[in-house]
Amino acid sequence: MTKERLLAGSHFRKNKGSSIGIFCLMLLASMLLSLAMILFTDTYPTAAKEADRLDGGDGMMYVSSKTLKIDDAYLSDLLEGTEEYELEKALYYPLINLPFGSSEMENTVKVCRMESMMAKTMARTEIAEEDSSISGDYIYLPYQFKTSGGYHVGDEYHFSISGENYDLKVKGFLNTVYGGCNNSGLYEICVSDEVYEKMLSRIDEAGESSFVVFKLKDDVKMGEFRIRVLNQLKTDDNLANVSLQPISMYISSRTFMSLIIAGSFLAVTILVVVVIILMIVNSIGNYVKENMKTIGALKAIGYTSRNIKGSVLMMFLALALIASVFGIAVSYLLAPTVSSVVIAQMGVPYSVSFSMIATITAFATVVLLTVLVTLLSLRRIKKIEPIVALREGVESHNFKTNPIKLDKSVFGLDASLSLKTMLHNKRQNIITFVVTGFMVFICVIALLMFENFNRNPKITLMMSETSDGAVVFDKDTWEEGYEFLSSQEGVSNIRRYHEDSIYVGQEDSLYLMVYEDPTRKNNTDVCYKGRLASHENEVNVSGKFAKQNGYKIGDEITLNLGGREYTYLISGFIQSLNNDGHEAIMSEEAASHILDLESMPTSFFFDTETDEQIDTILDACEAKFGEKMVTRINMLKSIEAGMITFKGIATLMLVMMCLISALVILLVLFLLIRSLVFSKRKDYGIYKAIGYTSRSLILQTAGSFMPTIILSVILFAVVSYFIANPYLQFIMINFGLMKCTFTIPIPGVIIIGVAMILLSFAIAVLQARRVRKIEPYQMLIAE
Amino acid sequence: MNEIIKTQKLCKTFSNGGVQQHVLRNIDLSIYEGDFTVIMGASGAGKSTLLYALSGMDKPSLGEVTFAGKNITKGTPDDLAVFRRKNCGFVFQQTYLVDSMSVLDNVLAAALLIEKNKKKASAKAKEVLKSVDIDETLWNKFPTQISGGEAQRVGIARALINDPKLVFADEPTGALNSTTGKDVLDVLTKANENGQSIVMVTHDITSARRGNRILYVKDGEIAGECQLGKYVSGDKERHLKLRDFLGGMGW
Repeated sequence: MTKERLLAGSHFRKNKGSSIGIFCLMLLASMLLSLAMILFTDTYPTAAKEADRLDGGDGMMYVSSKTLKIDDAYLSDLLEGTEEYELEKALYYPLINLPFGSSEMENTVKVCRMESMMAKTMARTEIAEEDSSISGDYIYLPYQFKTSGGYHVGDEYHFSISGENYDLKVKGFLNTVYGGCNNSGLYEICVSDEVYEKMLSRIDEAGESSFVVFKLKDDVKMGEFRIRVLNQLKTDDNLANVSLQPISMYISSRTFMSLIIAGSFLAVTILVVVVIILMIVNSIGNYVKENMKTIGALKAIGYTSRNIKGSVLMMFLALALIASVFGIAVSYLLAPTVSSVVIAQMGVPYSVSFSMIATITAFATVVLLTVLVTLLSLRRIKKIEPIVALREGVESHNFKTNPIKLDKSVFGLDASLSLKTMLHNKRQNIITFVVTGFMVFICVIALLMFENFNRNPKITLMMSETSDGAVVFDKDTWEEGYEFLSSQEGVSNIRRYHEDSIYVGQEDSLYLMVYEDPTRKNNTDVCYKGRLASHENEVNVSGKFAKQNGYKIGDEITLNLGGREYTYLISGFIQSLNNDGHEAIMSEEAASHILDLESMPTSFFFDTETDEQIDTILDACEAKFGEKMVTRINMLKSIEAGMITFKGIATLMLVMMCLISALVILLVLFLLIRSLVFSKRKDYGIYKAIGYTSRSLILQTAGSFMPTIILSVILFAVVSYFIANPYLQFIMINFGLMKCTFTIPIPGVIIIGVAMILLSFAIAVLQARRVRKIEPYQMLIAE
Repeated sequence: MNEIIKTQKLCKTFSNGGVQQHVLRNIDLSIYEGDFTVIMGASGAGKSTLLYALSGMDKPSLGEVTFAGKNITKGTPDDLAVFRRKNCGFVFQQTYLVDSMSVLDNVLAAALLIEKNKKKASAKAKEVLKSVDIDETLWNKFPTQISGGEAQRVGIARALINDPKLVFADEPTGALNSTTGKDVLDVLTKANENGQSIVMVTHDITSARRGNRILYVKDGEIAGECQLGKYVSGDKERHLKLRDFLGGMGW
């Protein structure tokens, strides 16, 4: 062992530069892997743990009814099968706009009193931050308003509900199980008693709504329980506004974007690890080549292949061990920054804790892969005969060919010599090709995310329908509302729709969107396969739901609601990121078989000539109909607010991916050119002696990598352009996105490609400047 | 005779860990056109250092080297590279061909630095290769596929390809056996007979006999000089004269 240790030390001293380069790559790999695993393993469990800590139960139901008396007597029958439940009375506002940062966030809002909120024993609300000295008209906002909306305790907060303006002061932020994130479809806020009373006085006769958190008995299935309860509520009050969702749906919707980031991060890390493996293989190959004489001498004096291999392995193992420890440490230093974006999206107060799985995975992956590829690469040492090694591997009998003949080459002298160098260094160029290609792919994916989640949000893939605005009128007002809306200046393309939950058998449910005529929808892309339902017996169901349950286009499906059922023909599949990918679309005519549309609030989507007209029209409707207009939505503002967290994530992804790509290319070219210059130092000395300038040799060296890099960039840019959507589809299929048609801006791809080529050339030239240090005279006398 | 190189107070000092070693000391020397100048001396006397200082391959610590009337000691490394490609040819002991290039390409790599027309350069390279007895069957072989003597003759072809004012040869037969060494010396002699100026470093008396002017370097200085006249094969008097000169120098 002492022999090997001494040799390992000698190897390191002799190959300090490339060892440090490999060390940096190993550090980068362990850091990225640890970071990705921290996110991947910690995000959902953190949200789940948080829900568990706050006794979130198994699900939450809310009921807003003008006729039903929701009390313990009613609930004890309705909620048969629960182990325990807790009822809270609060105000319920379906889909209202709350100011969020510089925009507005559209969400359903639950407004609570401080006393009842703090008295809860299930799904407890925790105050994440507050200033208890603030009194008067105050408000506690969800924690996401701080992390993503940029609000602070003590800020002024103004909003308007049902035509009434509220000017409040932010007293604190809440950490809640069910109402903390825009993606989970509910915001829970708390206001001072005076404000609460004022709001209550302006709400219609339904008054306070009922929010029930429940825990099921072990033998009760959530699906069956949910459908039974919702059907019972529909039977008891057909007009009741009800929702019942399992806690898993809230947690999933809260964490899905975080998981996408973590997944993307993991994918990038895998690519980087592949690059590192290639670099280790290359480095060992170079090591053997450059130390051929030493290996020969060692073998000649009696060292076995095992001794020599052991010493090289020891060096790489030591590098891997130290690099992975440092890499993991750095990942924990960076984790708060990366997780801040995740926190902003989740709205859960969360600090990164030590993750044993992430640490072990990162450590073991880097160390074991290093050992494995080192051992595999070192197999050639066994085959080296001492005499060949002492001749530095020069074999008198070989079958080299000369594909670039200087007298026949169509290129200039420098270009021809560059090509010769390129062909002579096939392995290095293959590595460069693969690495550059991977990095182009990563950057194209990041560009896609930036373009579709930030610059020009691809709304058609995220929402069932697109419009400039939407209004919801109660069942008695919608006809008058429609006429008024139609008469407004600038309004066009008014589309009527209704929505409700429907059921498939006794366990599955679908969120149904009923359009007057689905084929008139703005967003017909929502139907990615087949066609939109247009006849009275047709329905579109989500692809995710269809896949889970084995439905095909043309199959029949029986849907039920409130004791009515009807069998429909599936005419096409739709995709959606909402409602856990469980949605359905049908026409009003088809819906009439199971729904009483007349008794439901009616919504209208509309478009306007200018963006400024949206609020004017909504204000006019609100002024005219007051409380009879149930909801108003400025879709553009709502989308803008909804995209805030996505934008941050997309920008972070683009910046990180570009930085990682630049860093990887820098390190790879550093190592490859360094070893190239070292292995060709004699040739460079000869070239210089016969009159080649350093400038010419630098350009030749850098240029020898450029054809590969340019080819790789072009090829992978084209390939990435075509496979980026299928790749994302593969990742997002579980979230309900079955066919990705994200836009990939060609100018952006070209910019990435050109930037990568220029960056690579600049790095290659800078690194090839080492040639300047080679003095022909020193090289000659050294021999 | 025309002077090609002239040195004034040429010094070269190497430092290592604070210890200075003066390899060349105030050398004043002229090299003349058409001469076959041989530099001799004991190991470590400074002959190779002098050769490379004269050729612009290495910079002197002090003093000047004037090549065809131009001071070459002040140029940048790239200036000197351009100077070498235009004026000098080099033949090394270890041949120093580029292993990844064929025989023909090794010669062309030097030729194309001066002659941009590939056809002309190629034709000339082939002609020069033939003149050093490297026939067509070897042109597409790689340096590791030919013998040491053949490789050295390719090296000479590369040195001669651009019609340099001066060819510098550093122990060109040092790594060869006597037969192949003789062949190489014949090539250099033939080139000199055709008007090519040559400066050769050697410690081999048989090789030195080919020169018409012998310089003896001792302790970094030109200790003596001997004029032998034009080389004639089998000239015993020439051999004796050289032996006496070297004996007088303490060789």
